[in-house]
Amino acid sequence: MKKKAFCMTLAFAMTVSMVGSTAVFAAEEDNVIKVGAVCAMTGGSAVYGEGAQNAIDMAVEEINDSDSAYKIEIVNGGKVADDAKDAKQAVNAYNSLMAEEPEAVVGSFFSAVTLPMAELAAEDDMLLLATGATNYKVTEIGPTIFRNCFIDPYQGKMAAQFANEQGYKTAAVIYAKDDDYSNGLKDAFVESAEELGIEVAYVGECTTTDTDFTAQATQAVGSGADFVFYPCFLDTVPLLVQQVRDAGFEGAIMGGDGWDGSDTTGLEDYFENCYFTNHYSSEDTAPAVQEFVSKYTEKYGAESLNACAALYYDAMYMLVQAAENGGGSDTESLVKGMTEMKFSGVAGDIYLDEKGDAIKPVVVNTYEDGSIKWLETLAPEA
Amino acid sequence: MKMPGKIKRNYVINFIGLLILFAALLLVFENGVFGSRTNYFKGIATTACYTIIMVTSLNLLVGIMGEFSLGHAGFMSVGAYASAVVSNMLAEKGIPDFLLFVLVLLIGGIAAAITGVLVGIPTLKLRGDYLAIVTVAFAEIIRVAFTNFEITGGGRTMSGIAKLSDFYWVFWVMVICVTVMYMFIRSRFGRTVKAIREDYIAASASGVNVTFYKVMTFTVSAFFAGIAGAIYAHYMTAMIPTSFNFMYSAEFLTEVIIGGTGSMTGSIIGAAFLSALPEAMRAFSRYRMLGYSVVLVLIMIFRPGGIFGTWEFSLGRILDKITEKAKGKEA
Amino acid sequence: MSIFIQSIINGLNQGAIYALIALGYTMVYGILRMINFAHGDFIMVGAYTMFYTAPLMISYGMPAWMAVFLAIIACTVVGVLVERIAYKPVRNSGSMSALITALAMSLFLENLAMVLFGGNPKTVVKIFDLPMIEILGAKIQLKYLLTLGIGLAIMVALTLFVKMTKLGKAMRAVPQDRAAATIVGINVNKIITITFAIGSGLAAVAAMMYCSTYPRCTTDMGSMMGIKAFIAAVLGGIGIIPGAMLGGLIVGLIEIFVKIYIAPGWYEAITYGILIVVLLIKPSGILGKSVGEKV
Repeated sequence: MKKKAFCMTLAFAMTVSMVGSTAVFAAEEDNVIKVGAVCAMTGGSAVYGEGAQNAIDMAVEEINDSDSAYKIEIVNGGKVADDAKDAKQAVNAYNSLMAEEPEAVVGSFFSAVTLPMAELAAEDDMLLLATGATNYKVTEIGPTIFRNCFIDPYQGKMAAQFANEQGYKTAAVIYAKDDDYSNGLKDAFVESAEELGIEVAYVGECTTTDTDFTAQATQAVGSGADFVFYPCFLDTVPLLVQQVRDAGFEGAIMGGDGWDGSDTTGLEDYFENCYFTNHYSSEDTAPAVQEFVSKYTEKYGAESLNACAALYYDAMYMLVQAAENGGGSDTESLVKGMTEMKFSGVAGDIYLDEKGDAIKPVVVNTYEDGSIKWLETLAPEA
Repeated sequence: MKMPGKIKRNYVINFIGLLILFAALLLVFENGVFGSRTNYFKGIATTACYTIIMVTSLNLLVGIMGEFSLGHAGFMSVGAYASAVVSNMLAEKGIPDFLLFVLVLLIGGIAAAITGVLVGIPTLKLRGDYLAIVTVAFAEIIRVAFTNFEITGGGRTMSGIAKLSDFYWVFWVMVICVTVMYMFIRSRFGRTVKAIREDYIAASASGVNVTFYKVMTFTVSAFFAGIAGAIYAHYMTAMIPTSFNFMYSAEFLTEVIIGGTGSMTGSIIGAAFLSALPEAMRAFSRYRMLGYSVVLVLIMIFRPGGIFGTWEFSLGRILDKITEKAKGKEA
Repeated sequence: MSIFIQSIINGLNQGAIYALIALGYTMVYGILRMINFAHGDFIMVGAYTMFYTAPLMISYGMPAWMAVFLAIIACTVVGVLVERIAYKPVRNSGSMSALITALAMSLFLENLAMVLFGGNPKTVVKIFDLPMIEILGAKIQLKYLLTLGIGLAIMVALTLFVKMTKLGKAMRAVPQDRAAATIVGINVNKIITITFAIGSGLAAVAAMMYCSTYPRCTTDMGSMMGIKAFIAAVLGGIGIIPGAMLGGLIVGLIEIFVKIYIAPGWYEAITYGILIVVLLIKPSGILGKSVGEKV
C-alpha cells in the first residue's frame, strides 16, 4: 500500500510538473517591449549567465527609470532562462519563454545552443537577437535573426592583421577542436595570416575542457613562432598563458573576445605582451563605456564583467532603439526597426547589415600589470 | 494464466488505451488548451518520447541482461550523426517527409546497431564495473571521432538538419519501439537472456551460447538508441559532439535506475519524470540542478529499487481488477 | 631531442596528478567495491578551500602550502558527511543504487559550489615558489618533482598502512566478506568511514598539487579530472594502490606523447583505446590479480 501511495505521489508530482505553473498575463501596454532572455546559468559556463543577468537587470532598470518612450519587461519573472550550454535545454528554454508571448528573444551566448533556437525563431517569425553566437550560419537561418557580436571570421582576420602590423613573422595557433567559436577564429586567422605573408608554423589542437597545454606549448616554442594565437574562452586562458610562458615563449600571445574577463591574479608578469580583440575596452573614454564599467563594477563587482555582460546590456538598448525606429513594440515593428539599424553602445558603433550581422570596430586590448589596457581600435572595412 | 488469448486481449486493451491517450494529447495540443504553452509542452513531450526510447533500450541491458552501460549516449550520437548525414544528402530530392523520416530512423538504428556489434563482440566478456568503464571509453572514443570527422562538422555544430521529428510521429515511433522491446523481453530470446543474467554459468552449461545472446541484446539495445538519436537530430536540427558526453549517458542510466530496473513502466515514467523535472524547476533558476540532484539522492535512499521496482503497468490487469471488484459486489 | 625529454617530464607531471587522484578512487573502491564518482568533486572542494585560505596563510606570514591542512579538514568533513548521509543508506541496496547515488552527489556538490562560489573560474595564488632547472635543453620545474615525490610517498605510506597496521588489515578484510568481518569484531561502519576520511584527505593533497600546476578552480573541474583519473586507476588495476600510481603515470605520458607525435585531436580516444585493449588482455588491469570466480 505504501508503495502505491508513493507511486501515486510521484505520478502526481509529475503531472504537476508537466502542467507547470500557469502564466499570469499582465495587461498589455503598448510601449512595453516584452523580452525573453536565454543564457547558460548553470554548468561550466555559468559565469556568462551571471554577467548576462546582472547586465540585463542594470539595463532594464536604467531604461525603465529614464524617459525613454519604450520600456522593457523581461518575461520569466525578470530571470534569464537557463540553457546550460545544452541544445536540448536551449530549445526548452526558448519554448518556455514563448509561452509568455514575448516580442523579442535575446540570446544565447554559444553557437551550438543558438542554432537550434534560431531554427525555431525563424519558424515563429520571432525576433532573435543573438549575443555571442559567432558562427556565421546563425543569421542565415531567417530574416528575423540578428546578432550584436562579431562573426568568427572577422575577429580571426583582425588578429592576423594586428600580427602583421606589429611585424610578427611566424605564428602558432592553438585552438579548441570541439568548439564553433575556436574553429571559426582559427580558420580565419590561418587564411588571413597566409595572405598577409605570416608563416603559420604550427597548428595545435586542444579541447574546451583541457587544462594541460604543455604538449602544445612545447611544440609552439619548437616551431620558432613569435606569435601565438589562442582563440578560446576565459576559463582556460590563464592556464594556457602560464604554460606557454613556462615553456620559454617570449613573443606575443593573442586571443579573441572570449578572453575578456580572464583572471590574471598572480600572473601579472605572464600576461605582459598578451593581446585580445574585443567589442569594447574598459579604458575607453566614451561615456557609455565608462558608465557601464563603473556602474557594473560598483553593483556586482568586476568578477563577472566580461564581453558577455556588455553584449546583453547593449541588446536591451538595441531593442528600445529598434522599437523607436520601427514605431511600435510588436515583433514586426521591432524587426523592421532592427533591420539595417545603426546603433551606438558599450560594444561599439554597430551597423547591422542586410544579413543581420553586426559590422563594428574591433578594439585591441593588452595587459599592463595584469589589468586591461586599450591599445588601438581598428575600424571595420567598408 | 499463460493463455495466449489473454495476452492478445491485453495487447488490444493496452493499444486502445494508447489510442485514447494519443487522442487526448491531440485534442489538448490542437485545441490549444495550454494556450501559448502548447509548443513548450509539445517540446517537452517530444524530448520525453526519445528519452523514453533511450531509457527503455538501456533497460534491456540493465534490467534484462544485468549489465550496465555508462556510454549509451555514444550509440545515440552514432544514430544522430548517421541519420543527419543521410538526410542532408537526401534533402530536397522530393522524398515525402514521412518516408524520409522513417528512412532516417532506420539508418540511424542500423548504424548504431553495427556499432553495437563492433563494441559488443570484444567487450562483452567483461562484466560489472569493468564493462561499465569500457562502455564509457567507447562512448568517449565515438565522441572524439565525431569531433574529428569533417562530415559531422569537424567539432563545429552540425546545423541545418531537416526538422522532421513532429511530435505526433515521434509518439507512434516511441510506441512501436517500446512495444517491440517489450515483445523482445517476453520472447524466448528474452527469457534466455534473463537466464544468463541469473546464472550465466548454468546457462552456458545447458548449451546456451552466452556471448551470442549478450551481443545480440547489446545490438538490439544500440539499434533503438540509434533511432532515438535520429529523432534527436531531426528535432534539434543542430548538434555538437560535446552534447553526447559522459554526463548525458549517466542521465539515462539514472533514469533507468530511478524508474526501476527491469520495469518497462518504470523506464517510461522515470524518463518522463526526470526529463520534465529540470523544466518544472525552471522557476528556481540557478538552484534547479541542485534541487534535481537532491531529488535523485532522496529517491535512492527511500526507494533504492527505483520507483516501480519490477512492477509493470497493464491496462488489461487493471480492468480485470475493476471487473472482479464489481463482480464481487454483485455477488 | 629536447622536445622528447620535455615531453617525458610534462607527461610524468600530469601523470603524477592523475595518480594522486586515482589513489583516492582506488582506496574507496578497494574497500567498498563502489565507484565513488564524487571523488573528483572532493578535489574541487579542496581546490576552493586552497583558493580561499592560501592568501590568509600568506597574510599571517606562513607559507601558502600550509593551507593544505585546512583543505584536508574540509575535504575529510565533506567526504565523511557524504558517506554518512548519502552512501550509507544505500550501501546494501546493490551496486547500481550506489552508483547512481554517487553520480547524484557529484552533481549536488558541483551545483552547490556553483551557488556558493559563483561560476567564475578562480585563480589560486602560487603555492610553491620553486625555481626551474634546465637539463639537456628541457625545462624542469622543481614543483613537478615535488608532485611526483609526494605521489610516491603517499603510495608507499598507504601500502604500508594497509599491509602492516591492524586497521589496514581490517580494511582488507571488509571487502572479502563483510559478514565475517563483523563476526570477528570489526566495526564495518567505522572502517568504511575511516576509508572515506583517508580517501577525501588524499583528495585535498591532490587538490594542492593540481592547483600548483594548474592554478585554477572551477566548479566542474572534478568531473573532468575525475573520469581520467578513474580510467587511470582501472588501467593500473583498481583496488591496488601501486596500480593507481602506475596507471596515472601511464595515462599522463600517453596523453602528452599522443598530442605531440601521433594525432593531437585524438589523444583522448587513444587513451581510452589503450584502456580497452589492456582490459581485454588483462581484465583486472595491469597490476590486477585475476581472481577465479566461485561457481
